[in-house]
Amino acid sequence: MKRKPQRRVAVIGAGMSLFMRRALETGKELSYYAASQALETAGVRLKEIQAVVMATAPDAFDGVHMKGEWLLDGAGGVRKPYLRAYVGGGSGVFSIISGWTLVASGLFDLVLVVAEEKMSSCQPHPQGAFLTIFDHTIERPLGPNLLWIFSLEQHRYMATYGIRNEDIALVSVKNKRNALDHPVAQVAASLTVKDVLASEVVAWPVHRLMVSPISDGAAAIVLASEDVARRLSDKPIWVQGVGWSLDTSYWGNRDLAYPRYVERAARMAYEMAGISEPRRQIHVAEPYDPFAYKELHHLEGLQLSDKGKAPEDLARGRFERTGELPTCPSGGLMGVGNPIAAAGLMKLCELFWQLRGEAGARQVPGNPERGLAQAWGDLMQVGTVAILGVN
Amino acid sequence: MRPASDQAPTVPTVLSALDQVEPRVWKGAMPVQFLYTAGAAGERFFQTLKRKGVFVVTRCEECRLTYLPPRIYCERCFADLSETWREVAPVGKVHTHTLVHVDRQGRNAASPTLVAFVRIDGTDGGLVTRLLEIAPADVRIDMPVELVLAPKRRRRGTLDDIIGFRNRR
Repeated sequence: MKRKPQRRVAVIGAGMSLFMRRALETGKELSYYAASQALETAGVRLKEIQAVVMATAPDAFDGVHMKGEWLLDGAGGVRKPYLRAYVGGGSGVFSIISGWTLVASGLFDLVLVVAEEKMSSCQPHPQGAFLTIFDHTIERPLGPNLLWIFSLEQHRYMATYGIRNEDIALVSVKNKRNALDHPVAQVAASLTVKDVLASEVVAWPVHRLMVSPISDGAAAIVLASEDVARRLSDKPIWVQGVGWSLDTSYWGNRDLAYPRYVERAARMAYEMAGISEPRRQIHVAEPYDPFAYKELHHLEGLQLSDKGKAPEDLARGRFERTGELPTCPSGGLMGVGNPIAAAGLMKLCELFWQLRGEAGARQVPGNPERGLAQAWGDLMQVGTVAILGVN
Repeated sequence: MRPASDQAPTVPTVLSALDQVEPRVWKGAMPVQFLYTAGAAGERFFQTLKRKGVFVVTRCEECRLTYLPPRIYCERCFADLSETWREVAPVGKVHTHTLVHVDRQGRNAASPTLVAFVRIDGTDGGLVTRLLEIAPADVRIDMPVELVLAPKRRRRGTLDDIIGFRNRR
């Protein structure tokens, strides 16, 4: 980071559509539901919004080429400065980073940030679209899909630190249970570790219930500059730090047991937020959990657990909603669902509600003052981090 | 230092050999198909067209805009338009038109297709459509046209129910 930004930015509203398996609504309509709710809770009219950021992952999911532009009217971007934020699965958290740059730079005072995905369009399975994210010469002839990568990575993570699959299955149990309290959740459930490991193996060691679902949905937030936020909101939630980083595109050249790109992204955000002891200073976290092990993997990259020790922390209850550091109190992607970009922004919506004490049955105790959300994606190489706080 | 030579520099044998052949290629595809929904507004539009042969639209009074295709929200002010349905007659005017000679593969089509954007009367929108029962030379800008629908029993609630538009009688 060359210099710390001087202009403060706050989140003043949040909204979400239902997350579901196959929506009748188009992606535009889902975006409208989330965006209009965010505006309503912020007490802002669309006409006051000066710019719009839309995050949405590969075009091949919705089956609309240049879908960022296609979604424009549902995101409220008509006749406004509009940009698409796109780093694959990391897009949801990257969307607030993009919106933050527009406000922190002094360019705008009120920015609407929307994220959408309608993955049910993609048939027979979005894995068909994922095939072409692999290198056409050295990987694609093998017919890889994302499960290959995740299972290879999870296995390396387990082997490096002596982690058992039971330890990882506990993430599914925790998140799906947390999601029982989320009104938009798609795959909330009360399960045991035994249930998770009894589900079919999709690619060993990954079982069906250790994978997030295919989802349709949208989420949105409203960002404001300091003066405007104080005028419009009794409880603005401040963006204290943001960070992102991409590792090499060659997944074989990355450290599979430890996500260095997440560490780099987190360190940038911590520096900006003035955080020197993240384990003490972060009170609630929403690490990215498209697969069960990924939450643990990411918590280590975020410096919120020692390397290889996140499973132990989980087992002793540290990450429960009432634990020392609640993680994914929303229910995460494993419980609420995974409309790719919208899932990342859902995590920031959750922090907004948690830090305002408005999370209802999901509220973590102890009046949390600072939270962190993280997403991951691109060609399995990007870490995106945002830290929100009450002051 | 050697003086500038009037001879071409020597190229290593291997490189020059590679330069002279076409690069090897192999084929790939993105193996996906899609299932689309018409959406909350689109479903109502097509179901009404199928059943009654008219267009349904939504209207934002504040922005004075009538949406066709209909939307459940106003794209200018985000007003909820989901309770503002009204029906309009399926007639309009040729806003612009073209005669398409080349197909998607870039080949000359056997017979050119007459395509127009038709503004629907009483709305701020319209449809891209085919023009029927008229010679290309006879089409005029702002010419009044009317909808030609598939017979009721053949309608499926999709865009294909609209065969095209023809000169209004």
